[in-house]
Amino acid sequence: MSLAVALTKGRLEKSVTAMLEECGYGVERLKDKGRALVFEDTKKDIRYFLAKPNDVITYVEHGVADIGIVGKDTLMEGGKDYYELLDLKTGECRFILAGLPGNNPLQKVGHITIGTKYPNVAGEYFRTHSLDPEIIKIDGSVELSPLLGLCDGIVDIMETGTTLKENGLVVFDEVCRISARAIVNKVSFKMKREEVMTFITDLKEKVNEKC
Amino acid sequence: MQEIRIPQGMRDLTASQSRRKEALRKRIEDVFESFGYEKICTPTIEYAKTYQIGFTSSTDFSEMYRFLDQDGKMVMMRVDMTVPIARLCATRYSTANPPFRFRYCSEVFKIRHTFAGKRSQVTDCGIELIGLDENSDIEVLYTALKVLQQIGTKEYRLEIGNSGFFRVAAEKLNLSEEQRTTLADLIDRKSLVELQEYLEKMDVSDEIQTFLQSLPLLGGGSEILNEAMESSFCEELKQEVRKLMKLDEDLRKLGVMDHVSYDFGKIPHLDYYTGIIFEGYVSGVGTSVLSGGRYDSLVGRFGRDLPACGFSIKLDVLLDVLDEVEKKVIRIGYPKGKETEALIYSETYRKDSCVELVPWEKQQIEVIL
Repeated sequence: MSLAVALTKGRLEKSVTAMLEECGYGVERLKDKGRALVFEDTKKDIRYFLAKPNDVITYVEHGVADIGIVGKDTLMEGGKDYYELLDLKTGECRFILAGLPGNNPLQKVGHITIGTKYPNVAGEYFRTHSLDPEIIKIDGSVELSPLLGLCDGIVDIMETGTTLKENGLVVFDEVCRISARAIVNKVSFKMKREEVMTFITDLKEKVNEKC
Repeated sequence: MQEIRIPQGMRDLTASQSRRKEALRKRIEDVFESFGYEKICTPTIEYAKTYQIGFTSSTDFSEMYRFLDQDGKMVMMRVDMTVPIARLCATRYSTANPPFRFRYCSEVFKIRHTFAGKRSQVTDCGIELIGLDENSDIEVLYTALKVLQQIGTKEYRLEIGNSGFFRVAAEKLNLSEEQRTTLADLIDRKSLVELQEYLEKMDVSDEIQTFLQSLPLLGGGSEILNEAMESSFCEELKQEVRKLMKLDEDLRKLGVMDHVSYDFGKIPHLDYYTGIIFEGYVSGVGTSVLSGGRYDSLVGRFGRDLPACGFSIKLDVLLDVLDEVEKKVIRIGYPKGKETEALIYSETYRKDSCVELVPWEKQQIEVIL
């Protein structure tokens, strides 16, 4: 049976495509894609499509994609109705708690406000510290919010730390590490177990080689 | 303009969708009927307390439609049929002789996330076999397979697990409540990455780590039963595997093994399951379409201690993969003003088919070919 694989557009696209190519999958069309959104594998019975991170989860949960490759950051913030079978150990970065020097929200006395694109992740993190901050959802350039005095700190993704540094922010704590994951629709895992496991095992071998 | 909408998660069905749903319901109910199940009905709303008794610890009220009745008591739209039937059986059939074979086809309600594309109201069609112990599991499983076959999709699969397997393992390993819940969730979601991270932090032997890490993928055809037997680290676990081996043997005799698989990483979301648990899948539908299991303590929570096993099918998710059902109707044309004559004329046809009266320009009353 043929497989439908949803890949995340953007940050993860290149490294995941390269990984698939090294595994012997025919992903040439993905590399030279223009504006197309759906691609046939030139060697195997697989269809790929590119989608925004959250949509990858939605497509997998509904079963229109059998497998999805998506960042753990998106998984932590979204639904949970899928199987998470593999850490691709690529697209690695961290969730961090940051703010202005000397203003660690964890040590603040009184009401704490946190700006973030990831309210669920931030909420869960503070719960483990037995703190109950007010969380303010920010959609882009979260670094701006403590500078403007909107909040005491931010929970955000950090790849290199350059943006934080340039804006005079410091990291107070690492929330967790994140990387690209392979998720599988629950029914696909039952009905196409062999095809799904072949795909996962191929990627897994590549991941193990690299580590 | 006035805004006219329906509440979130709700859907209207058109006539052709309803026709398909009815046809499917009938096919399923005919199977239930042929195994001797009798239809029962319960109220659409129940006291919230009834569900608290049924679900005990796992009652999640956030996904229930709740409101107050005329006495200020909390009531809710039913979220399933098993709990109301357990209540009904323990109270209305408190003196009757078991076993009881009940079937139902009812609307159930659960609040789904906004914009997730899921329904908050679905029709559950299922059976409960109450009063017989696990020896009757095979009958329930066979009924489930018959029903899946009747749905009429090319491919279908019934996956069987045993809730006792993880429970026994958790007991033997002396897992704390917190560990048990976390591991159950990680294993059931086959979240291999997080599971590994969690196990590494746990203070258990390598052997146990390997065992727990292997559970999510301990699934497949009959061959997996031997594998499960080998990885079982104590006699009690082996006993739980043997139960599925016995079922495997029986399913083989019944000639239905092509459509059966097993999963030892299947852990029930409802805490009332005590024995086998199973789910049915058909190609083309992204969620399970059938789910059920054995719940030997549930009816007892309502006052009459009886073992039970059952399952339900979600009709609505199946509609998209079913073929169109043709509308069978005889159309009779008549001139305007001759409605009564047309009714008299159509009477003989109405005895064994449905008749639709259609006004037309012609002066005769006759069947439209």
